[in-house]
Amino acid sequence: MLHLIKARLVQLVFVLFLLSILTFTLMKLAPGDPVLLLLGADELVVTQDNEAALRKELGFDLPILVQYGQWMLNLLQLDLGTSYIKGKPVLDELMARLPTTMELTVGGLIVMIMISLPLGFLAAKYPGRWPDHVSRLLALIGASIPSFWMGLLLIYAFAFKLQWLPSMGKGSWNHMVLPSLTLGLAMAAVYARLLRAGLLDSLSQEYIRAARARGIAEWRVMLKHAFRAALMPVVSVFGMSIGSLLAGTVVVETLFSLPGLGSMGVQAIFQRDYPVIQGYVLFTGVCVVLINLLVDLSYGWLDPRIRQGKGDVS
Amino acid sequence: MTQILSIGAPILELKDLSICLHHGKQHQILVHDLNLMLRPGETLALVGESGSGKSLTANAVLGLLGNSLQISGGQILVCGEDIVPWSDKERRKLRGTGIGLVFQDYQGSFTPFIKIGKQFVETLRSHNSLSVQEAKLQAMNWLGRVGLPAERVFNSYPFQLSGGQRQRAAIAAALMLKPSLLIADEPTTALDVLTSETVLDLLDELQSQTGCAILMISHDLRQVLKRADTIAVMKEGRIVESGAAEVIRTRPTHAYTKMLLKSRPLLTEIHAQLLAEEQALAGTGDRLA
Amino acid sequence: MNLEAANRSYSVRARRNHWKVLLQFPTMGIGIALMSMILLLTFIGPLIVPNDPLTVVMSERLQSPSWQYPLGTDHMGRCIFSRLMAGAQITLGVSFLVILTVIIIGIPLGLVSGYVGGRLDAILMRFVDGLAALPEFIWVIAVSGFLGPSLTNMIFSIVMIKWIGYARMVRGIVLSEREKEYVLAATVAGTGTWKILSRHLLPQVISPVVILAALDIGKIILIISSLSYLGLGAQPPTPEWGAMLNDGRPYFQTIPELMIYPGVAIMLVVISCNLIGDGLRDYLDVRSR
Repeated sequence: MLHLIKARLVQLVFVLFLLSILTFTLMKLAPGDPVLLLLGADELVVTQDNEAALRKELGFDLPILVQYGQWMLNLLQLDLGTSYIKGKPVLDELMARLPTTMELTVGGLIVMIMISLPLGFLAAKYPGRWPDHVSRLLALIGASIPSFWMGLLLIYAFAFKLQWLPSMGKGSWNHMVLPSLTLGLAMAAVYARLLRAGLLDSLSQEYIRAARARGIAEWRVMLKHAFRAALMPVVSVFGMSIGSLLAGTVVVETLFSLPGLGSMGVQAIFQRDYPVIQGYVLFTGVCVVLINLLVDLSYGWLDPRIRQGKGDVS
Repeated sequence: MTQILSIGAPILELKDLSICLHHGKQHQILVHDLNLMLRPGETLALVGESGSGKSLTANAVLGLLGNSLQISGGQILVCGEDIVPWSDKERRKLRGTGIGLVFQDYQGSFTPFIKIGKQFVETLRSHNSLSVQEAKLQAMNWLGRVGLPAERVFNSYPFQLSGGQRQRAAIAAALMLKPSLLIADEPTTALDVLTSETVLDLLDELQSQTGCAILMISHDLRQVLKRADTIAVMKEGRIVESGAAEVIRTRPTHAYTKMLLKSRPLLTEIHAQLLAEEQALAGTGDRLA
Repeated sequence: MNLEAANRSYSVRARRNHWKVLLQFPTMGIGIALMSMILLLTFIGPLIVPNDPLTVVMSERLQSPSWQYPLGTDHMGRCIFSRLMAGAQITLGVSFLVILTVIIIGIPLGLVSGYVGGRLDAILMRFVDGLAALPEFIWVIAVSGFLGPSLTNMIFSIVMIKWIGYARMVRGIVLSEREKEYVLAATVAGTGTWKILSRHLLPQVISPVVILAALDIGKIILIISSLSYLGLGAQPPTPEWGAMLNDGRPYFQTIPELMIYPGVAIMLVVISCNLIGDGLRDYLDVRSR
């Protein structure tokens, strides 16, 4: 277990390093001179003098490696720079928008779990029968519908036609219903299939036969004995697809005008607010690696054999 | 081994039992017209090579045949009552309290990520209305009876025990519900010879204490010869020969039985002999190894 | 019977078997039928409805379906049907381009890295691990964020991350294949590295790569349309489906058709890709068995 955590931490450092180089290089390659952009934003008359002064102030006259070193030093002190547009520290902006994205993610996960659990259990209980076919069909559709389009359909139906729920912005809990549904529905179908496969696999294990032979109730066999082993593949796929979950938040936040991290990133791209883009990319990178660390830790909780450091999971 | 007098009504009786495999529209009969009878306190060994249908028979008795297999004819009488038409719920009640199971793969006797003690308590509470405390006391008691360090095993995960320990725990889990019939499906195949002898000794001992009948499924005719009262030899889904163990050993009639008997001297016997000598030398040897 | 005729009759039989196997996977059949219909429509459609997908006729905006405009016009008076057909060419064209590029990069790198091994392999794989630790969409955002949103930048960033999966898979296969007898025999016989790679190892990786590509193409279509919807991919007035949805967004409450058509188009294409991909996976798995 410990070496797993260690490997993840090494990966975290490596990824951060790679990301820092990448974003730094891209920033330097980016079209348009950030100095002129900054001056333009202030709507001042651009003179040679104040251009040179600003260039010096930002350290853009120094050799590239020195610039990188300085930028890195700042980064280590959690200084992600200042937004070109708003003039505020990028970190503050990130922190201000993080809660919305987290709310949305949690909402999406709740929707996903509430749909995929019963669907997966039903499909595994009756393999080859109609609940199984329904879940297969839903999974196909779920994997084929663009999430932004589903969001639009939901807005049309529930916000516009029925007028039950608000379609955009942030406010009370009901503002989060449609976004959470949009994010959760697409995932639900896929995870229901995964759960089905995992359950069918673990239900065929000997220890299930042993538990049944001891006369333990069928629902208990399913929930206590089969479910936990079935979660392993589900969790590992979840770890691998954190990316598509985050991508989903970008789409959903933009679609519903939620002030989250994703919509911030998209806005920053249109405004060429490079420090914000950089901050977003670095921050999400760290989040992905950290979530993967959590996923690794959850294996230990799911299977005590891993916790005890016994490699052979037979 | 002294015969326990077989009195009273049979615990288990199979009458013309047939089991059939459905595969799409085709079906294939895997077990043909099986007849068996088992009385309280008796041990009956069902012997045959893998694929002979002996484990299927055990599963049928337990009501755990799965989706593609079906009982296509005959009766399974438990204490005189035919359980074939029973509902799933009724059969579940029977499993555990009426019929216990100990099986080959000791790895699979317990769910790997739940502590042994928890699984014992769960099993006890599934059949009796007990508090967790009471169930724990009973579980510890039984772990002690099969010669395990109760406290430690209770708090262990299955993978933390050795194969022999796990099989002992499985026997305790099966017998603590006081079933009148214990099905032992190749209980020692996955164990080494020394451990398997001590496990079989333990089964004998517990049988004489509780008086339950044992249906022992094995591929090893020689090993069951001295453990069973009656033996039925199965081949390709049919019983080819059955009778008292003594008769089978001394006067087998069917060619297949003769072949099984003649197969090379088994390590089991050599080791058992060695074990006996060792124990004789050491006086009271620690059988737990 | 001469050799040629024998060969011909053999190949006919082989082809018949192909179709038979194909019929065992009805999902693939449905997928192929659906995809053929879509392709046919994109080729025939512009002949029947010869409107230019880009021509803006403000006097004819938001018209309902007519003979001239089978699906009506959008908010700029452009023919929706023609735009959908042109969009199909863009969407399918771009995703095939992406897949093809990714395969062309991934296969050789994987082959060489796996076969040559050593330091080259170690460096490449370390690099790849670093890249792959981050989800593809972050890369897309980073690249299109800094280089500016455009269709080419989007394609570049998707390719940049997608090749990794292919290179990794090919490398894995090569690592296991290169120890097998036939490769060793070829090496001993003095076959050159290039020949071993192209004659012996390449054929082994083709069918897994095809399966992966077939399963990937639906995902790539979804990524492309999502990014275009966000405005990070194809830019208006390009008739890409995602961009069309973005374009028509302000009008969709009054004229939901603007939103329905492109969405349905994306869904149908992706469904048929997924059906074909799943079917192909089962089919090639069966054949390799």
